Amino acid sequence: MSTNEGNENDAFSIDASNSATNNDEVNTGSARSGPSNDSEGGSKVVFLLKAAGGAPILKKKKWALPRSKTIGHIVEFLKKYMKLDAQQQQQLFLYVNQAFAPALDTTIGSVNDCFSSEGTLVLHYALTQAWG
Amino acid sequence: MTSLLDDKEITRELWQSHLPVCFILSDEDKNKINRSESPEPLYLMLARHSYFPCFIEKIHRYYCNYFKNDPNDTTNNMNPANLWFEYESIPLKWHYPIGVLYDLYVSSLSSISTHVPWQIIVHLSKFPEGEIIRFPDKESIEAHFMSTLKEADALKHRGQIIEDMQKRDHQQLWNSLLQDRYDGFWKINNKLMTYTDNLQYFRYIPFRIHILDKPFIHKLFSPFNVEEEKWTTLNDLLQFTLNHEAHCEQITNEKKILNTNINDYRVIIHGIQPSLQSPVQWLSEHLSYPDNFLHICLIEKRT
Repeated sequence: MSTNEGNENDAFSIDASNSATNNDEVNTGSARSGPSNDSEGGSKVVFLLKAAGGAPILKKKKWALPRSKTIGHIVEFLKKYMKLDAQQQQQLFLYVNQAFAPALDTTIGSVNDCFSSEGTLVLHYALTQAWG
Repeated sequence: MTSLLDDKEITRELWQSHLPVCFILSDEDKNKINRSESPEPLYLMLARHSYFPCFIEKIHRYYCNYFKNDPNDTTNNMNPANLWFEYESIPLKWHYPIGVLYDLYVSSLSSISTHVPWQIIVHLSKFPEGEIIRFPDKESIEAHFMSTLKEADALKHRGQIIEDMQKRDHQQLWNSLLQDRYDGFWKINNKLMTYTDNLQYFRYIPFRIHILDKPFIHKLFSPFNVEEEKWTTLNDLLQFTLNHEAHCEQITNEKKILNTNINDYRVIIHGIQPSLQSPVQWLSEHLSYPDNFLHICLIEKRT
């Protein structure tokens, strides 16, 4: 699996998704039946990051984070990772369902519980408001 | 679900419910005023469903009067972006409806029996970076409100209804909120309360559970139990959500696991303790905030 390229030594710890390599079927159950995955992989949320609206494309698509990390954490991480500060690019937006941007204090766990589709959570990032 | 015509009046009552708030300048900022008089507390009646940034200009202007004659003030104290509110040492988040903040923090933390007017400390300096986000302009709070509405509609109707609306409908929702026009708001909001997918209820209920010192909790929960052919209740929603969250915490080896005993909490929506047997579909249609979310505050009872 080509998901573990680019190991993070960053202070911001969006981890290379090791958990995803040994368990690719994250969140297979329905949310109604309780937490979907009791195995090791279930302790982290695995999600895909996709560029939108002409944002730079990341080589690494698949990421994993503990449930308690917030959308704000991912936004700050991406700004650093993509070195946006140097380009005086202040803003970065993260979208769910290509429709709405969750508040920055929303945890990735709660986004995953509500909006992962067929076991996969997809977040789109954009440097300008892409939707809404 | 049969909904009595009169039930609609509940939404009007909630729309009209206000909180008296008393804003007091922090001692630290008071000391920086070198005019003889120090600012009197500022009293405002604020709609429970509104947001603090909608009143920032007014509050900012009030305190400006006390600083503007000082030519030596180079600290840029009066930049509205530095302004923040505190209650019982907690910086208040600007993007939660005012009523939610009151229900959560005053019910949880107040040590006195009279809770109104709600006394809030105004700070003009020492912004708590990392804890809260700076007060944005009105456009940002509008963008946040619209985004939350879209999130709610994604749960209720796969986002179909809000997507089919015109831009001017979206604006009417926000402007009605700002200008306190109930009828203008509900004319559009009624569309968001309809059903899609041949259902007689929402696909999922947009709700958030707020507990002190925790991020809000949010799960997928259907208002109708198809297997048992019955409406789900507030009690069902709370039990499902608490159990699910506690289970997630156990998997991730959290040190402190959420208390899942509903009896240990006071359950508050809009300052009211609704019956736990209330069907969540009914609650969602009548007790949701304008952002279409049911904001449920769980206050742990003190033993």
